[in-house]
Amino acid sequence: MEGISFIQVALIFVVTFIAAIDQFDFLESLYQPIVTGAIIGAILGDVQTGLVVGGTYQLMTIGNMPIGGAQPPNAVIGGIMAAIFACSLGMDPNVATATAIPFALLGQYGVTLFFTLRAPMLESFRAAATKADTKAITRLTVISEVILGLIFAVIVSLLFIGGQTFGQQVVDAIPEWVNNGLSAAGGMMKFVGFAILLKIMMNRDMWGFFFMGFGLALIAVNIPAIAGPALLILTLIGFGIAFWDFQQQTELKGAAFDGGDMSDGI
Amino acid sequence: MASNEFVVPAQYEDLTPAPQVDNKTLNRMALRSYWLQSSFNYETMQSGGWLFAMLPGLEKVHTNKNDLAASMYHNLDFINTHPFLVTFVMGIVLSLEQNKLDTQTIRAVRISAASPLGGIGDALFWLTLVPITAGITSNMAIEGSIAAPFIFLLIFNIAQAACRFGLMKWSYKVGTAAIDALTANMQAFTRAASILGVFVVGALTVTMGGTQINLTIPNGTTRGLVAHSIVVSDEEAANFADLAIDVETAEAGTLGMTAEDGSALTAADADGNAVECGITELGNGMSSVTYAEVTETEVSYSVASTLDTVLPKLVPLALVLGLYFLFAKHNFTPIKGIVLLLIIGLLGAGPFGLWPSIW
Repeated sequence: MEGISFIQVALIFVVTFIAAIDQFDFLESLYQPIVTGAIIGAILGDVQTGLVVGGTYQLMTIGNMPIGGAQPPNAVIGGIMAAIFACSLGMDPNVATATAIPFALLGQYGVTLFFTLRAPMLESFRAAATKADTKAITRLTVISEVILGLIFAVIVSLLFIGGQTFGQQVVDAIPEWVNNGLSAAGGMMKFVGFAILLKIMMNRDMWGFFFMGFGLALIAVNIPAIAGPALLILTLIGFGIAFWDFQQQTELKGAAFDGGDMSDGI
Repeated sequence: MASNEFVVPAQYEDLTPAPQVDNKTLNRMALRSYWLQSSFNYETMQSGGWLFAMLPGLEKVHTNKNDLAASMYHNLDFINTHPFLVTFVMGIVLSLEQNKLDTQTIRAVRISAASPLGGIGDALFWLTLVPITAGITSNMAIEGSIAAPFIFLLIFNIAQAACRFGLMKWSYKVGTAAIDALTANMQAFTRAASILGVFVVGALTVTMGGTQINLTIPNGTTRGLVAHSIVVSDEEAANFADLAIDVETAEAGTLGMTAEDGSALTAADADGNAVECGITELGNGMSSVTYAEVTETEVSYSVASTLDTVLPKLVPLALVLGLYFLFAKHNFTPIKGIVLLLIIGLLGAGPFGLWPSIW
């Protein structure tokens, strides 16, 4: 790409930095391609093309929302790269959108990897918590966001300068087994969170409720009509069971006329 | 890395309910909730941002420093909820913290209230509001309207702010109103909350547990006979008549009519129906010959489908129970659990191509 000014690179860096953070936090709407398309268009001197390619990319992503914690192809990198292709290489908006998809997939993989590698950072949060250090929590939150924004901004700026071949080289440099292993580990890490919750809440007479939740969920997710709101339905069932138990316990307590000190020693 | 061994006490030291939290603090919490996913990670998902958002309220209700530390620590538990609806959970949890309920109760209520909101929020926002507003404004943009991005941002953010600030105040009010009835039966309430909590974690293991062993093992071959029919002249048909083969040992591709003892072979035609081999004279000097070809198909054994016949989601269940065992009985720290999973993940992927990937 020729005729790139330093100011353009700097502006794209800043826009990507903000969009990268906004995709998970803040307004969670600035990052949408319909917005970034117009902004990138303005930076590269062609707002009209930016609008059109942003709209085109946006329509494509409507079926690809971050539902249920799943990572869709990354709309930040995809949307911004599509706008760059259309505005600076003069690609047709549809072609630019299609050309940007591999970059969106690269971004999707990168985000998964990042969320996996960010897990150890929780230890710093825990360390701050044990000291009741509220300022450190704010500091860690800022650091965490800045790292995310910088990674995206650097990658997109390099892609902007280096062009299309660069992205493929990055992908090829990582062995496939590392990709697979890290994404498998990322998929499993939530189990650590689950297990810790269980450790807190579980005592011997509660295992039945855990397995009941597990079993009912297996049934629910395999019925297509209710698979979507399955968790809500299950929580309603769980609530019914818990509520019934609460009534049983409180009625027993009333009958025994004591303060309830005799029970379970949680 | 230093591990932070910290035991959250069952009860706070200062058990006097704190005064009502003012509106200004609630608004600060709602404002901070915009950063819910700032530390999103695959271990505890939104917990870092959750704590960040809760802090203004927690600082108000926990004036005892040890209590604040305990509260901050357990507010880093796994949490995954919808970003736009999170303030609903924040209001409830703040009302529990304010009334100094048992930490276990607070933790159980938090995971139970937060988890189902994910699906509701997805349905409201990603599946309804965004497709409609973005769909309409995208078409405006493609037609070149500069107003399109602004209209999209305006509608989306009004809806978002209404949810965040409105739910924060409403749920805090509901939470504090309900608390008296609950504290009268504290132990029963803790028990009920824990029942719902473990029930929900059991359900989450299924709905969020995608881990599967996708390994297929080649398991030899299976032999079969495939029927073919051709029409040839009577003389040529005679050549087929004595094609006797041993089905068990013949190489794949061998043609045959009868087994070695002379009995006609039975083979499967294209539709899978069994047909008997033989020659039928058509009467015009031609014959229809049905012969059999020996086939060999490779069979592989799928670990995933076998596991699913035992119990679907067996792998996530085993991992959760295994980790629970390590945490509860062997004092594993979360970071050790993560390192263990990273090792399992990388080893399972067949490092350096030493063995096939199981993922």
